[in-house]
Amino acid sequence: MWAIARTELKKNIQDKGIWFWTFILPILFIVVFVAVFSGQEGVEYKEIITQIIPGYAVMFTFFIMISMVITFIKDRERGMVARIASTPLPVQSYFLGKWVPFMIIVLLQIAVLFLFGFLVYDLPLGDPMALIVMSLFQAFLATSWGLAMAVLVKSENMGIALTQILALGGALLGGLWMPIEIMPDIMQTICKFIPQYWGLEGYKEILLHGGGILDIWVPLTILLACGVVGILIAISGYRRYLRLSKS
Amino acid sequence: MIEVARVSKSYGNLQALASIEFTIDKGTCFGLVGPNGAGKSTLMKILAGILQHFEGDIVVDRFSVTKEKQAVKQLIGYVPQELCLEETLTARDNLLLFGRLYGLSGKDLHNRMEDVLEKIGLAERSKDKVLKFSGGMKRRLNIGCALLHEPAIIIMDEPTVGIDPQSRKSIFSIIEQLKADGSTIIYSSHYMEEVEHLCDSIGLIDKGVLLENGTMDRLLEKYGTPSLYVSGDTIEAEHLHPYPITSKGDGFLVIDADPLFVLEKLVIRFRELELQPRRLELYYPKLEDIFFQLTGTMLRDN
Repeated sequence: MWAIARTELKKNIQDKGIWFWTFILPILFIVVFVAVFSGQEGVEYKEIITQIIPGYAVMFTFFIMISMVITFIKDRERGMVARIASTPLPVQSYFLGKWVPFMIIVLLQIAVLFLFGFLVYDLPLGDPMALIVMSLFQAFLATSWGLAMAVLVKSENMGIALTQILALGGALLGGLWMPIEIMPDIMQTICKFIPQYWGLEGYKEILLHGGGILDIWVPLTILLACGVVGILIAISGYRRYLRLSKS
Repeated sequence: MIEVARVSKSYGNLQALASIEFTIDKGTCFGLVGPNGAGKSTLMKILAGILQHFEGDIVVDRFSVTKEKQAVKQLIGYVPQELCLEETLTARDNLLLFGRLYGLSGKDLHNRMEDVLEKIGLAERSKDKVLKFSGGMKRRLNIGCALLHEPAIIIMDEPTVGIDPQSRKSIFSIIEQLKADGSTIIYSSHYMEEVEHLCDSIGLIDKGVLLENGTMDRLLEKYGTPSLYVSGDTIEAEHLHPYPITSKGDGFLVIDADPLFVLEKLVIRFRELELQPRRLELYYPKLEDIFFQLTGTMLRDN
């Protein structure tokens, strides 16, 4: 498993695209949107930054799915999956080896964005342990969905399109772009079925209300359950993925 | 060493392999020949442990592919038709990856890597990224990745596809060296001359059926009688009467149990008739001719 993970991490570090999507673009979004909304009357500065920074952090974690889809499709097209299946490495180790580097990247992404928020906008970070656990679950959700998408889609383009629908659609419906309180009632009901909403709720509870791990058990449970669904889909799709692989 | 027992595989209604049976002796090179879509790659994938759902079984050095696949995988080095390389990484990184996948580590892995780099002739380019390599160099690295764990059996699925003659020659010398080291090699190709040149025994496969297998000598003894090849602008079929003939290229193959005798007779006849053959030579059948006899089609027609 570590052989795959080390190689994958090395490849990702050399990939300029992943740096742009993961770190540069989210920071640009945060800077622009904080600038736009921080001048509004009647809205507390703390509320704005605890909406925008974790909101965009949650949204951009899902963009890791693009890199995951590209990696897995390339492995399939080049016959790398079949080649690895010919080695003694068990299937689950292949998945784990592929998954761990992306998990690390997403955790690093969240850390960088929150650190940026803390240093530039004085973002309160709340209970560090709760923040770490929440970030682990958020990263697990985004990467497990990435894994599921990567083994199911037929092409890179299809994967990129679906990722954007999930990331942007989920952000819109999950209230990542604007506080859920100002949305219509029907949207406030719909958002409860969107995992992104629970991601943001968890972070808000920690950052805005000073909550600990026990206070975020509902978001954690929902993120975990949705993540497990992603993993199960990925495992069940592996045989088809292997069959489609060139060798 | 390897015993393939009644292996069948279907994809839906398509029968990819139909009850394939053969054995390969230890330390020999077995060539699997057939046109594209014959079932070669499917059989290779089964042998390499990639395809696990099939009928029958394969026993490799006492281990069953269906029951003890991990043990079998450790014995095998698989060189796929595709270039399974991480192009943005160096040759060294690629070898490290595959070495680790087979459980090598530390000094052992590094020593093996240096040996393999020497063997495939890439020692001086080992720190270059693969994307800077020529097609032939990538093919050699693709082979190298399968050699790190010193497998007893090396499966090569069309390892010379799409490369120049010089690179092909270089790959042949790697294979010759592996043979000299005592490795058992399973070599699949649709280039008949490659298989004839490299392999000790040969299996001819078409439409999922193993048509014939054995040593080249045995196949020639069974299917190939030497004949006489005649061609020339003025040479017509009637000039070769009464010998049985078949057309081949621009001329004719004269088939007779004693082609030397026919050659003698024809030389006399051509002198009398003042005919000038362009080519008049003994023709020893090749694998291609045996395949034609068995299937009615030339391999290149496919």
